[in-house]
Amino acid sequence: MAKLTKQERRTTIISAALKLFSEKGFYITTIPDIAKKVGMSVGNFYNYFTSKDILAKELIIYISEYLGKRIREINDKDISTEKKIYEIVSMYFNMAEERPEMIEYFLRVYLSNREVFEDGCEGMICVSAFVTEMMMFFDNGVERDELHNQDFFSAFGLFMGYLGGMVFLFGEKILPEPLEWYKESISQNIYNALKKR
Amino acid sequence: MHSKNDKKPSIIWFQGLTCNGNTHSFLNLENLENLLNKFEILSHPSLPSTQDFNSITECTLECDIFIFEGTYDPLMKRNDTSISKIVKYYAQKARYIIALGSCASFGGVFKASAPERNSGLLFNEQEKSGPLLKYESKVINISGCPIHPEWLAYTLSMIEKRREVETDSLHRPIELYSTLSHHGCTRNEYFEWKVDAGAFGEKEGCLYYKQGCRAPMTHAPCNKILWNEVSSKTRVGTPCFGCTEPDFPRKNLFSTKTNMSIPEDIPLGVPKRSYLTMAGIAKTFRIKRLEGKLIDYKTAD
Amino acid sequence: MITKQLIEQIEGEASILFDMKNGVVDFATISFPHFRGIESILKGKNALDALVITPRVCGICGHAHLMATVRALEDAYKNAGYPIELSKKSKIIREFTLTMEIVQNHFKWIYLTIIPEVAKLSNSTREQTPLKGAYAASIASKAIAVFAGQWPHSSYMIPGGITTDPTNLDVLKVESFMDELIGFFEKESLGVSLEKFLSFESCKDFKILNSDISFLENSLIDMKMNQKGFAYDRFLVIAKHTFTKPSKLKHTRPFSINAKYVNTIDSYSPNQISYAKNAQYKNIFYETGPLARAMATNFPIVKNMHRRFKDSAYSRAIARVFELATLLQHAKELLVQIDISQKSFIKSVDISKITAKGIGVVEAPRGPLLHSVNIKEGIIQDYKIITPTQFNIGSSSKSDPTPAQKAMKGVTKAEALFIFRTFDVCSVCTTH
Repeated sequence: MAKLTKQERRTTIISAALKLFSEKGFYITTIPDIAKKVGMSVGNFYNYFTSKDILAKELIIYISEYLGKRIREINDKDISTEKKIYEIVSMYFNMAEERPEMIEYFLRVYLSNREVFEDGCEGMICVSAFVTEMMMFFDNGVERDELHNQDFFSAFGLFMGYLGGMVFLFGEKILPEPLEWYKESISQNIYNALKKR
Repeated sequence: MHSKNDKKPSIIWFQGLTCNGNTHSFLNLENLENLLNKFEILSHPSLPSTQDFNSITECTLECDIFIFEGTYDPLMKRNDTSISKIVKYYAQKARYIIALGSCASFGGVFKASAPERNSGLLFNEQEKSGPLLKYESKVINISGCPIHPEWLAYTLSMIEKRREVETDSLHRPIELYSTLSHHGCTRNEYFEWKVDAGAFGEKEGCLYYKQGCRAPMTHAPCNKILWNEVSSKTRVGTPCFGCTEPDFPRKNLFSTKTNMSIPEDIPLGVPKRSYLTMAGIAKTFRIKRLEGKLIDYKTAD
Repeated sequence: MITKQLIEQIEGEASILFDMKNGVVDFATISFPHFRGIESILKGKNALDALVITPRVCGICGHAHLMATVRALEDAYKNAGYPIELSKKSKIIREFTLTMEIVQNHFKWIYLTIIPEVAKLSNSTREQTPLKGAYAASIASKAIAVFAGQWPHSSYMIPGGITTDPTNLDVLKVESFMDELIGFFEKESLGVSLEKFLSFESCKDFKILNSDISFLENSLIDMKMNQKGFAYDRFLVIAKHTFTKPSKLKHTRPFSINAKYVNTIDSYSPNQISYAKNAQYKNIFYETGPLARAMATNFPIVKNMHRRFKDSAYSRAIARVFELATLLQHAKELLVQIDISQKSFIKSVDISKITAKGIGVVEAPRGPLLHSVNIKEGIIQDYKIITPTQFNIGSSSKSDPTPAQKAMKGVTKAEALFIFRTFDVCSVCTTH
């Protein structure tokens, strides 16, 4: 096996930690658990992240940048806002199916353990990449005269709260159909709720 | 020394469609007399002049500097003479043409009285298509509604001292219009930390987020060369209306155009994505000192 | 014989057609040629934008236009069922800056308009000092700018108050400008203290002076301007202010008034292009401005002057000088009343909630300025402006001349041109 670079090793830790945190919970998961899962010593682990809290913050930045990067790719496309909504929904649901730990982590760790994030990760700091792209999306939609001009958080909450709720239902295995099945109708609902009146 | 160089440069100050605002603003110049002594005023709307107005409109005089104040309306007549004849005559004679104020520079407020034909001397809003295109190299635009007297004094003094007045792509002196009116605003700290003014009538808060302030998008030294030597719009809580720019007057001047709470226009030259990232993060930190009143006066009652 | 005379070095341009008979003016018509269409520019705009646009009607009295707009908007708020509350502080500061705009206007009129004309007409060799007017006006403008941000073209008054929130530092600075300006006026213009000047009881008191103002007064007498330039001896003040009160006077008898009776009629100026309408009150012409305001407030020396010289060119000119003196003192008194702890601005509903009409009336340097606005959901449907010069210097028929036309009748052309300027002409306002 080829030797991993430091960056690759770091990504491995992030993936493993995301899985453990979202499965077992933030407080129950220990650093030795994570180190064990990636096959490294606890001592070596500290070369990458000096504490569990710092790791927790890095994870949320990682997710935010991951999402931000994908939404930006959609924002940069020359397609209608209605299409962009479909693409964002689609990307989000795909991610929920392929890498559920990312969204689980966001919902179950980041939103549920605010005390971990209140120093240095409050407000927009760690989720800036993601929120900024959503701002770019909304701004562009209004500028193109395709979305109704309203308060940012009213629109953002409607969009992301809806997606989060669906992914939660999916995670709880309540949804009778696979997420894929809902993409079209949910995109339509979001568009209808936000479109220019 | 050549005797010709000893002669004071002569000025004709001529008006198109105007409110006289630049004339009156100029009268506020500190040490006005010292400046005037360096020039021969052939004609001015209110100051003593050596020529009467009839001889100006007869188009027989020469002048070094032709100052035009107001919007150019090709159908306008002054003293029964077509303004297009007068302007072209002096444009050809003069060494420098100063389009004084935003009306003369770009069309300004009075462009709207006949938008299909009114314009500035060289520009029609952003577009370089005014009547003095042929004399482009002579034209200096001093935009502003009104101009600050020192802006004109600077330009005239540079000409008098035979120093070159470097201009930007809109023919405005770079030394005046390179800075934004945001520069030097006493509310800058509120802008940095994204603390908006809750309402008008307060010393605290930035006017860019809600009250329509155009200062971060407007080229003008208003907070550097203070108005009447004492203040500026933003210092007294009035938003900058962007009066030095070709699109003045815009619409909805007292509110910021936002798309889903996001300012449509952001500080000049800053990519929107970068601005939003920075703004979102800055907003996260709630700075107590900037949220409260700067001074809490004890009320009498 | 009809001759045409171009009038420049006023605010804008005007021309007069004189019909001369036996060397004196038999009839004169006045035209103001440069129409700018501010009223139509305002249509369809957000009503608050008028606070930025209307000051651009006039470079010398834009502040009066700003105040007329803010009063019209506040009246519309009231008529829509959302009465605006104003703090005492914001009212006083508004009044102060308006007062100082009148002050700068009068200084300019004295030094840049009337003294040079007096000198010309009386072949005086007295040294001309027009820049004194510009200097004094620049100090007055500084005092305005401390509160208003700048002069000309401030937009610091908004429905609900003012945008500025001054500190004692600002008020002290303004007080020091006032001291400088009053000191200048006493030393350079009056030649006597302001207090002493304001205690003058009759025109004879000018005899002790040797100053710019006494030169003006003496010359007016020498030119017999106390026997010329009579208008109707009817005066009109419409707006409420701390320095004057609404009143309609026939000779010295005051009557109450209501702005709704102001009417306009088409002007009469054959063979000339003119865009000004004449303004009247109940279909009758009245003179407005400093003389009218002094009559309305029973200002003793002006009343005395009027008793002897009626509404002559002399009275009109000297009333403006006395108004300048009174307003300087008044402005100082206003400053003392500012309580900085009060609110500058009291928020009301958004302008988009307003569907109503409103009228705003202000005493501008030359008299009443009326703005009326019709707003639908915050958007201007219609905007009308009536300016003081439309009252004073309209152009009407020979059988029903305007105050200025009447005042120019029966004198030589040179005298008529001088009398014309005693009204303090503002062409730009008139051709808004």
